[in-house]
Parts: sequence; structure tokens; C-alpha cells
Amino acid sequence: MAAYDFIFDGLGLRKWCDADVKADRPMGLDELLSKPTAGGEKSVSAWEFPFPSLNALNDACPALPRSRDMTKGLEQAFLGAKDALSYVLDPLTQPLSWMLEGSLWVILAAPWWVIVPILLLIVQFVARSIKLTGFVALSLGLLAFIDHYDYAMQTLAIIFVCAFLCVLFGVPIGIAMSRSDRLRRALLPVLDMLQTLPPFVYLIPLIFLFSVTEPKLYGIAIILYAIVPVVRLTDLGIRLVDTDVLEAADAFGMDSRQKLFGVQIPLAAPTIMAGVNQTIMMSLAMVVIASLVSAPGLGVLVLQGIRNLELGTGLVAGFGIVILAVILDRVTKASLERFETGRRAQ
Amino acid sequence: MTVKIAVKNLYKIFGDASEEALEKVKAGMGKAELLESTGQGLGLHNVNVRMKEGEITVIMGLSGSGKSTLVRCLNRLIEPTGGEILLDGENVLAFDEAQLREMRRKRMSMVFQKFALFPHRTVLQNTALAMTIESASLKEREAEAEHWLGRVGLDGYGASMPDQLSGGMQQRVGLARALASNAEVMLMDEAFSALDPLIRTDMQNLLIELQRELKKTIVFITHDLDEALKLADHLVILKDGAVVQQGEPQRILLKPKDPYVENFIGDINRARVLRTRSVMQSLQTANRPFAGDVDHDDNLESVIARAEGEVDRVYRVVRDGQPVGALDMRDLLRALVPAEPTGLDDDDEETAA
Ligand SMILES: Nc1ncnc2c1ncn2[C@@H]1O[C@H](COP(=O)(O)OP(=O)(O)OP(=O)(O)O)[C@@H](O)[C@H]1O
Ligand SMILES: [Mg+2]
Repeated sequence: MAAYDFIFDGLGLRKWCDADVKADRPMGLDELLSKPTAGGEKSVSAWEFPFPSLNALNDACPALPRSRDMTKGLEQAFLGAKDALSYVLDPLTQPLSWMLEGSLWVILAAPWWVIVPILLLIVQFVARSIKLTGFVALSLGLLAFIDHYDYAMQTLAIIFVCAFLCVLFGVPIGIAMSRSDRLRRALLPVLDMLQTLPPFVYLIPLIFLFSVTEPKLYGIAIILYAIVPVVRLTDLGIRLVDTDVLEAADAFGMDSRQKLFGVQIPLAAPTIMAGVNQTIMMSLAMVVIASLVSAPGLGVLVLQGIRNLELGTGLVAGFGIVILAVILDRVTKASLERFETGRRAQ
Repeated sequence: MTVKIAVKNLYKIFGDASEEALEKVKAGMGKAELLESTGQGLGLHNVNVRMKEGEITVIMGLSGSGKSTLVRCLNRLIEPTGGEILLDGENVLAFDEAQLREMRRKRMSMVFQKFALFPHRTVLQNTALAMTIESASLKEREAEAEHWLGRVGLDGYGASMPDQLSGGMQQRVGLARALASNAEVMLMDEAFSALDPLIRTDMQNLLIELQRELKKTIVFITHDLDEALKLADHLVILKDGAVVQQGEPQRILLKPKDPYVENFIGDINRARVLRTRSVMQSLQTANRPFAGDVDHDDNLESVIARAEGEVDRVYRVVRDGQPVGALDMRDLLRALVPAEPTGLDDDDEETAA
């Protein structure tokens, strides 16, 4: 005797309910749990009267699906679409794998005394601060000294590739959003979703779509997660450009392309750069999580620390991640600052 | 003098159903009523103005009277709802995108209240804006821009960034930018309103000096009567988007058409702005010997000072050495008292047409 029998009896659906009950359907979680004690009919007290959930209704009318059937169905649907999706997405995303493999190979194949000076030169070039370059040199030296050089470089290589792609796609998307309210309305919920989904959740569909051994799997996860700020801030930056200045551009006969490249993007640049900074920081956050799906780097050590309860390994790797985060943040902020003050005192 | 810009029956209605609203306005619906019944805002209401070549046409009115709207309709930063705008006889409203941009680059420049300089470009680059768009050679552009910076008194500031300059200097850059486009028409929307009084006077004098030589057709917007009287060859007074009176400024001072205009001119120091030529009578009316000569462009204040307070004198008004009229001190005193609105304009062909 199930709680909701009365509904189906009352509606005269009893026959339909009991018509074709599949014997081989998977067992629900509650069934599994309650198996040992299940015996005979129970009458339901008001205190224990269940919420009309799918499972409760299924008790009364086996023709209805259970929650478990629903998740199963979703899985089936996804698996059904998977082949078609992979067929399209695989070749499209293949270059990402190549880029990641390539940069990981280069950064480890080249000797440290080539890579480190190159990195320092880049830092000096974008930030123009001897102090900062010295700090970066010290930090990298420390990481190398405790034999975390390879891991740190792998993490950096992945971040470089992913952040570069985020900017490459994110800035144009942001520009398009700033110019069309329709597109903005359509994209905002997507961006909100990408930003609020817990990072782990990205990985689930991706694991089904791509093989775990392929770098593009984590590449896509990182890009999806980290592209949001650069898109948002590009859109915002362009929308915030002073309307008086835009009016002047119009009044002197600039066309929309000249306005975009001559006024809107230069004036939005500091905001866009702030977006790039955030994108890089979020890439770093995600590359650690992505070690769950075989992304190399410091995240692997953290994971190892958790799995094997190697407290020291995990903590030191975590410390390395903090150092990388500080370096990336300082350098991008310094270049942003230089950019802004450079504009004032040219 | 030839008419440079002719504005004919110009209407602007803000809102999404402007066509229907236009019909209603033409049928006689007022601004407030239109807003209430249809939610559409009436920006301009049957404006007719003829702006003559080489003159400064000043448009005046209270806040919200449609001054900015009118001037932006001229270069179509705001799209008019109905009417015609003729620039050298060409219908501006019929221009396509490319023609419109061409016109804005070469024939109509603009100076803005809030300067609207490009903050990311140097003063020189800002000045060369119109030429940059035309893609002239770099050398040519810089030489031309330097020249105009010199003309507005900013020699040597070419490499500065706009925000390193004071407001007055920034507006000089704005002026140089407009002049450097070599456009014959210059639109100035409250160009000097954001400046403090002394700088403002400087800028007015600079404009007058440049204008004496360049003879641009200038459309100047202001809500300051002193400024209007100082600059205007032709004064247009707007109220709720419609022209209430237009004509020679002195004429408007002496014969305001309705209380709105009278209110406007009520607070002015009439002795300082009225000229002898506006209150003089013909030479034959003089029944006494002349006490002396005054110039036709002298203001009444200076004549009062000359007369040392006496009221029974008559002065001869001369222009370039030729006598053109007689000025009786009694007429002068009468002119100092604000006139009652006449309700009609005897010689105002624009509003009559
Ligand atoms: N984009 C717009 N949408 C709706 N109404 C507008 C718009 N722009 C102006 N208006 C209305 O048109 C009228 C005239 O505005 P306009 O800006 O031309 O006034 P103004 O004379 O320049 O005033 P101010 O001295 O304050 O600059 C005002 O009532 C204003 O509310
Ligand atoms: Mg205005």
C-alpha cells in the first residue's frame, strides 16, 4: 500500500499503472537502502507522509518514471548526441590540443637557463620595473630550488595558452556584445551560468565528449571558466566610453570602424586589461582543478597530497601556486598601471 | 549676404511614434499635451531660421527649450522628424551616410560644451582630428594643426595630453580642432558655458577676433544674454522648441515681442548693450545744434558719460566719418526703460514668412 495509491485509484488509472511494469529497471537508491527491512504492506502515518516526488508516485503507480530513470535518461540522451557532437567538436578543438602539447613540450624541452631569462625579459618588457623583475626572478629561483620548476612551468604554459585564447575570443565577443543589446541579452545568462557553475561541473560533460588523455579536455574547461571576465569587462569598458567623446567623433565624421578602433577600444583598454588580469587569475584557479582530468603542473602535486595524505607535498605545491598567482597578478597589474599612466604623461 | 543654412519648418519629436505625433503637433497640439497623451517629447516646433554666410547666429532660450536639439539637427547628430535643412541650397536631410560624413568632415565642424576632446590623444592629434579622418599626410596635418594651435594661443602645447590643460585651454583646443577642419560652418553648443567668467570673456574676444578674419558662419548657443549680445549678428530666441522672436539683437532689446522675451532681457544693463545706432533718429529731426559727434557703435553708457548727465543735448551719430543720424538724449533715456512687449514684429520677415 503506497501513500499515493488513492490518487491513481481515484482517477481510475490503476489498470494503466500496473499494465507494463518493467522487471529489469534499475533499482532506486531508496529501494536499495530499504531492501533488508522491506517486508509486507505498511500503512503510512501522517507524520511520514512522503512528498509527492517521482519516487513516491512511482511506488503507487509503477508506470511513472523514478528520479533515477530521469538521470539515466539524461545520460542516454547525452550519449546519443555525443557522437554527433564529438564529430563536430573534435576537429574544431584539435588545434587547442596541439597548442597545449606544443607549449608544454617547448617549455620543458628548452633548458631552464633559456626559459627563465626569456620570462624575465617578458616581465621587464610589460611592467618596466626592475624591482618586480627581481621579485619574479627570486620566486622562480625558489621554486626551482625546491625542485618544483617543471611543475610550475607546466602550469604556466597551460595558463599562457588558455589566457591567450580567452583574450583572442573574449575581446571580440565583448565588442560584439557592446554593440548589440540583443546579443548582450542572449549572452548574459550564459556568462552568468559559466561563472556560477562550480568548476567541477564543467568537467562532467567534457569527460564524456573527449578522451581524458587529450589536453584539449582541460583546455576547454579552463577557457570556458576563464573567458567570462574578459568578455564582461570588454563589454562594460566599451559601454562606459564617454558619450560626449563619441558624439564628437560622430560630429567630425568618423565612421563606426574608426570610432571602434580609434576611440572606443583605446578608451576601454584599461577596463579590458583589468578583465585580462582576472582571466589569467581564473585560468590559474582552474588549471589546478583540471589536474583531476590529467592537466599537468602543480595541481597534480596537490592532488597527490590529497589522495595519498602526503601533507607536505600538498602544502608545498599549494605554496607554489600562491607564488605563481602573486607573480601573474603583480605583472599584469603593473603593466595595466604603466598603460594608464603612460597615457597621461606621454 | 547669401543664406548659408536655411532651416525650414523643422520639427523634432522624441519618441518611437514620432510620425503620428508629428501630425498631431501640426494640427496644433502643444508640448505638454503631446507628452501627456502620447508620451512623445516635442523637441522642435516649426522652426524657421535663415543663417547668413559669415554671420554669427546666436540661439538663446531657457534650459530645455531645444537649443541643443536644433544645433544637432543641423549636422544630423539628431535626426529631424520633419522639415528641411538647406546647406548652400543642398538638402542635408537627403544625404546618405557617406555624404553626411563628408559634410561633417569638411563643411560643418562643432565645438562642445564639455570640450569632448579625445583623452588618449595629444593636443596636436586632437587638433588634427578632422584631417586624420581625411587621411592627409602626417607632415601636412601636423603643420596645419600647429598653425591653428598657434592661432588660439596654444603654441608649444601640442605634445601635452588634454587632461594636463586647464578648462579654458582645453576649450581652445576644441576651437582649434573645429577651425583646423577648415569647415565654413562652425556649430558651438554652449561652448563657453563651462568656463569661469574671466576666461569666458577671453574666449569671446578670441572668437570675435578670429571671426573678423575668417568670416565663418557660426551657430552659437548660449543661455547668457550678455554673451549673446556680444556675439550675435542674428539672435534667435527659442521657447518650448519654437522660435518666439528672432532678428537683430538691438531690435529685440527695443521691441520684445512677448513677456517671455521681455523676461529674458529684463535684467540686462541696457546702457551698456544698446548702441547709438539703435536709438538714433534721422538727421532731419535734430532741432538743436549738435553737442558733438558719437560713433554709431558706441554704447549708450559712453554717451551718458560724455553728456555729463545733461538731458537736453543732441549728438550727431557718425559712421566712418559720415553723419548717419541724430541722437537726442531724451530718446536715449527712454530707451533705457525696458519696453513693453509689442506683440507684433514689424520688420521680422522670418517669423512672418
Ligand atoms: N534623447 C532625448 N529623448 C527625449 N527627449 C529629449 C531628448 N533630448 C532632448 N529631449 C527633450 O527635448 C527638449 C529640448 O532639449 P535640449 O537638450 O535641446 O534643450 P536645451 O535648450 O539644449 O537645454 P540646455 O540649456 O539644458 O542644454 C527637452 O525638453 C528635453 O527633455
Ligand atoms: Mg543644451
